[in-house]
Amino acid sequence: MGKESKTIWDRLEDIPREVLYGILIISFIMPMLFPIGFPVPISPEVKRWYDTIDKLPNGSVIMVDFGYSGGGEPELGPMAVAVYHHIFKKGGIKVVAMSTSNEGTLLFDKAMAELNPSQYGKQYGVDYIHIGYITGTESAMAAVGKDIRATTTTDYKGTPLAQYSIMDGVNEAKDFALLICYTTGGDQSEGWVRQWYTTYQTPYLCCVLAMMVPTMLPYQKAGQIVSLTSGAQAGQMELLVHVPARGIKSADVITITHLLCIALVVVGNIAYFGKKFSGGKQ
Amino acid sequence: MADFATIIQIWLAALFTIWIYSIAFRDNVFFKFAEHTFVGAAAGHSLVMGIDNILRIGWGNFIGGNYIYIIVFILGVLLFTRYHSDYFWVSRFPLAVLVGIGVGLMMRTTITSEFIAQIQSTAGMKLLGVDTWTAFSNLVFIIITLSVVYYFIFTFPKMHGGGLGIISTIAKYGMMAAFGYSFANTVLSRFNMIFGRFDFIMSTWLPLPYAMIALPVALILLIYAMIPAERRPWPKTQK
Amino acid sequence: MSVVFKRTLPIVIVFATAMLFILEFFVTIPGIDFKSAATTVNNWGIILTAFTLAFGAVNLFIFHGRHISRRTKGQWPFSLWMLIVIVIFIVIGVSSGVSSGQYTWLYNASYFALSATVYSSLGFYMTSGIYRALRAKNIESGLLLIVGIIALARNAPAVASAFPPIIPWEAWLSAVPTTSAQRGIMIGAALGALALGIRTMIGRETGFLGKLTEAEKGG
Repeated sequence: MGKESKTIWDRLEDIPREVLYGILIISFIMPMLFPIGFPVPISPEVKRWYDTIDKLPNGSVIMVDFGYSGGGEPELGPMAVAVYHHIFKKGGIKVVAMSTSNEGTLLFDKAMAELNPSQYGKQYGVDYIHIGYITGTESAMAAVGKDIRATTTTDYKGTPLAQYSIMDGVNEAKDFALLICYTTGGDQSEGWVRQWYTTYQTPYLCCVLAMMVPTMLPYQKAGQIVSLTSGAQAGQMELLVHVPARGIKSADVITITHLLCIALVVVGNIAYFGKKFSGGKQ
Repeated sequence: MADFATIIQIWLAALFTIWIYSIAFRDNVFFKFAEHTFVGAAAGHSLVMGIDNILRIGWGNFIGGNYIYIIVFILGVLLFTRYHSDYFWVSRFPLAVLVGIGVGLMMRTTITSEFIAQIQSTAGMKLLGVDTWTAFSNLVFIIITLSVVYYFIFTFPKMHGGGLGIISTIAKYGMMAAFGYSFANTVLSRFNMIFGRFDFIMSTWLPLPYAMIALPVALILLIYAMIPAERRPWPKTQK
Repeated sequence: MSVVFKRTLPIVIVFATAMLFILEFFVTIPGIDFKSAATTVNNWGIILTAFTLAFGAVNLFIFHGRHISRRTKGQWPFSLWMLIVIVIFIVIGVSSGVSSGQYTWLYNASYFALSATVYSSLGFYMTSGIYRALRAKNIESGLLLIVGIIALARNAPAVASAFPPIIPWEAWLSAVPTTSAQRGIMIGAALGALALGIRTMIGRETGFLGKLTEAEKGG
């Protein structure tokens, strides 16, 4: 029995994965080697995020949760850095950070190294601080919301909080004007809605991985989150704060790779329907 | 120019990156090495952060005068009796405290945040006194929300048959639209992450001395490692 | 008596602990300070959770220790390396501290790079899946496809700039069908979570108890 010859539709439907991956890698590398400079429109969510911080009165204190892991750092790291640029440029705002992710303190160090707070004259312990990774996710959020010093008496390096002037008068959720969370985990992003917004009505800005945005949209619609963004929109934030960095670099690559995906979907469906209408075996 | 330790760090990170990506093509010994390093690092880091919390928060509170924390430390150690064939039941007590905290914290706010607030928001959507497009969109929103809630609550077949089948159909269409949107966002997320690693390789590693030579060498070794063992000229495998 | 102590008492602890937090949130009784008690128990929970972070490492030692002792072909050298990595992390983390330069170096050289790459490597499989599986075979899959393509196009910054109408189309898809369906799923899940919570509190869900003896199952 002879081997059935492959039709054009069979070949189109069965491109080897090595070829696909090779095309994908090329579509990543080419725009990185030869940047095109595609424009990046600013979305309403990013603008709302920016305006929320901009409208904070002097003397406000913000709680930031570095709740993302190393896996999410390429997406969320640039957003965290851009927002810190905004806060420090604005001035008069203090930032108390914590982590509900066990990599959060190390990623905080990474973000601060990229940001260089001293360029804005900002000092650790006076203008910003990190009170450390606290296990338990919602337990940690509830505990910190009730009484920070009953939960932890030191910062992430083990230095007593009493030694830092930033912590004067700051001890519970009611002392914070705003909550910001960067996270790769639904437990954290939803947990803050439950433990801080629902309990204390703290305004909440949430930045998650793009793939988590759909599950968080109902909270934004119900007004529980002021602005929900994804780390993929970091480039837009960088444009607003005039500090282009890693976020904006990805714009060309994202455009080309997304067009490739659309092309693959179209090719796959052309092959499928071509085979179907030419009477081929499905 | 970065110091020597940083250079080694960048080289290790770059090699691990290339080795992990190689699994997309074929399994190979370099990937297995990187994979086992990852699992070990994850477990080790988790344990280290746990110890840090116990010392910084638990021990800190204990020596600060909260002597009742000794009970917490004992309970924490008792968690590990789970591994004992005869005394595993002892671990149920500390676990019960953890489960009770989790259940209590979840239940008291889920009612408000994920039930009442969502229903209030849906009920507050205007159908009159707004422009036609907004009214239509709000109506579609309400219908899809109610259909999906119906779909998940009434799971017995009778409630999805006959005339009531239209509700399930609307729910399915709504969910398919949501999943299509989720799929596009997942693509965006993953591609952003891949870009992050490629950016590291190209902007941080390749500019280092000898990296441009090391890259093709690493790739050739990888391709060689992907060849099935019996077809490789070296090393010989025992049959 | 043994069943009461080993099975019923943990369930009573779950009930009492959960009720403490629920009462603290909803009820004010003069003379009873729920807040202090809840704060104390909550902080206990943080320390207990810290102890549970060791379970991963302990399980790996048990499982991969067996591979090493049996010299499982093709596996035992990797198992040995994995346990060595765990020990290296523990030694450096505990001796130098988690915010020390040494530990940060170790984290950046290994865990961070590996974690970021593992997360991102799914992008390759996703691309293959997009090409092979996304077919408009019926109305549901066609709908998924169309919404997916519109959202993909909008997520490409240049497409959104070159073809502005896609922005309000995608915004509508996000605001209406996606949010409404996700809201419906959320309400259903919330009801399920509440039911599960109540069942756990009254002892109908005993998964957390682990292995039950015959006497305990009958109880």
